[in-house]
Amino acid sequence: MAVALGFVAASELVGQGGRPLSVQGVRPLAFGLILPGVPEVVLRTDPVKSGRFDLSGERFAQVELTFTLPGQMIGPGGATMPLLFGSGDAGYSETQAIASQVAFDPNQRFVATLSRNGKGAVFLGGTVTPGAGQRAGSYTATITLTVAYLP
Amino acid sequence: MIRILAWLLASSWTALGLAAQGVTIAPHAVYIDHRVRSGSVLLYNPNAYPVEVSISTLFGYPVTDSAGRITLRVVDQPDTASPSAADWIQAYPRRLTVAPLERQTVRLLATPPPGLADGEYWARLVIHARGGQVPITGVSDTANIRVALPLEVRSIIGLSYRKGALRTGVRLADLRGRALGDSLEVRVRLARQGTAAFVGTVRGELVDSAGGVRARFAAPLGVYYEMEPRFSAYTGPLPAGRYRLRLVVSAEREDLPPEVVLPAAPVRDSVEVRVP
Repeated sequence: MAVALGFVAASELVGQGGRPLSVQGVRPLAFGLILPGVPEVVLRTDPVKSGRFDLSGERFAQVELTFTLPGQMIGPGGATMPLLFGSGDAGYSETQAIASQVAFDPNQRFVATLSRNGKGAVFLGGTVTPGAGQRAGSYTATITLTVAYLP
Repeated sequence: MIRILAWLLASSWTALGLAAQGVTIAPHAVYIDHRVRSGSVLLYNPNAYPVEVSISTLFGYPVTDSAGRITLRVVDQPDTASPSAADWIQAYPRRLTVAPLERQTVRLLATPPPGLADGEYWARLVIHARGGQVPITGVSDTANIRVALPLEVRSIIGLSYRKGALRTGVRLADLRGRALGDSLEVRVRLARQGTAAFVGTVRGELVDSAGGVRARFAAPLGVYYEMEPRFSAYTGPLPAGRYRLRLVVSAEREDLPPEVVLPAAPVRDSVEVRVP
């Protein structure tokens, strides 16, 4: 049933002219269990913990990628935890393969070209630095990827 | 058909997968005629979770930076001389929830100011998609610290509002090329002509002295004012010698319906490239 619905929607979208533009947040950046006072690093090449966005559109189309990144996470009772994104913490892959990324600075905009098949993927890592007396509980903040379709 | 099936398979995989966010958007560029004053965008949620969507507009257009990369220049407060339609294009609804595997149409209604002069006016649609909350496992274990960073997606697509008879074209200048490692690097200055943005395709090729094509490239192009883009193409190792770089810019786009691409005569240029 899901496949049948998908087929109708896909046909309509393709019929709009050109290949539809799709940006999917596939996997959240996840640090998992954190120990107080111990920084935790997630590499953009981590196949489980790194954040991942998949892009699709017209082949060879150029897209401008801009991250909006939080500097900290909010936790229980308004507690905060610093979050850092370094200059090599983002990567782009035309083949959507995590092993074949071109690194870029997620704090700067980046222009990517979709592949011959109109695909691409963006990966994101980062570092969280809990304090020695960091309050226990769940912390979160939102990462936003803006994709401007060019030209 | 192959294209549709391939896209469908990709969508189905995503739907069965993780707590993904984002919607699929078609078309990726909207053209509204003054005589109709309305358009639409179709959103499809390929995920297994509902997606909250909000839609807004801004004024912006592609430019190039000093390295020749095409980027979007966003103008927060366009002056009265700017051809901005951002203030008078409204989306209905502006906020919506797209259920899993469902599609929804967003209507775009234009209410241009009285006495709007003939011309082309631009805006960008910002489609902001938020998925459901990403669960953080082990929340009840208050002895632990757990973190997760959910992802949101903003997709920005072009919108052009056209009134009256429009014409467009492009002028080329300062074409140059050079071999850089195993690639050809090309720069060229492009200036829009006429009363509307030039939307087309640039194609280039590098030809050796025997007439053999050593590299080819093609890229979609939109020239709103002036720009100086950089293109590159893989050549492999090139023997020393003289080559010819040929460039043609034509008003053709395979990703847009032909009726929205304004006609213009193709423009050509060529230049010698020396490989030492």
